[in-house]
Amino acid sequence: MKNSKKCTAVLGIICALLAAAASYYTIVFNDSRFIVPMELSGYVFRVQDLPMVVSGIFLGLYVLYLFLLLVRAIAAKKRQEESTRSARAVNPKLGFLGIIGFAGFFGFWTYSLDKTIFPFMFFMFFGFFGFFYEGKMSQAFMDERYQENKLKAHMVADKIALGIIFLALLVLGQGKLMGNLEYTLIALTIAISLAVALGMFLYGYLLYHYDHDEPLDESGE
Amino acid sequence: MPDFECRLKKYRQLNDLTQEQLAAQVGVRRETIMRLEKAQYNPSLKLAVDISRAVGAPIEEIFIFPQK
Repeated sequence: MKNSKKCTAVLGIICALLAAAASYYTIVFNDSRFIVPMELSGYVFRVQDLPMVVSGIFLGLYVLYLFLLLVRAIAAKKRQEESTRSARAVNPKLGFLGIIGFAGFFGFWTYSLDKTIFPFMFFMFFGFFGFFYEGKMSQAFMDERYQENKLKAHMVADKIALGIIFLALLVLGQGKLMGNLEYTLIALTIAISLAVALGMFLYGYLLYHYDHDEPLDESGE
Repeated sequence: MPDFECRLKKYRQLNDLTQEQLAAQVGVRRETIMRLEKAQYNPSLKLAVDISRAVGAPIEEIFIFPQK
């Protein structure tokens, strides 16, 4: 495990060094090709491009390797959860990641600047506020009541989120409400992002709420 | 809210079991036993059978559903 982490870090450092060396070479000897924006449709290969091409391939392979590691780690965690029958380990402090959702407001700025609308998707991060609640049930033993509550929370949260998306599509999809297709697309992006965020938040909140909805006799006798 | 009467607390105490012990025996959380005792949770047939075996009483004496 430790060796594999070390190996991943060393590979990452090698890739970064390769990229740095290739960038230096292309800036000094190859007119900064691949660094300054270039038209790739009419691209003709030159031997001087080789360092950047090779470093790009290595970087791509490394990213793919990291992705595979991530998938493997998620699968292993899932197997562990199933075998121990305990809920996933979530630190409630992860809920603070929900603050990233405010980055969605940058979308108004970037749109006015160069018509970029993808920052609106950051509104989805508001859903991470749900970790405040899910974290309180971190690694809880998943008995049949927990499983039932989990399914119920998922169902209600998904139903509400899908309902909002459906309504947004119904209203905005006609394209006449805003009078401008670009504004319609922005409104749709915002509505879908917020609906996804609401779904994520509601799942955590409802799961906690169903489990702790009424004060109980804690004596245990 | 399930409408039934639950006499689990009585049978559990007769067997000198705490909620924690009973929960461990039947493989659920203590909160689930608490809900069951307050008749706020309708258990699965398997859990009902496990509980009945753990406290040594028939299911129909622990969980009493009114006849309709």
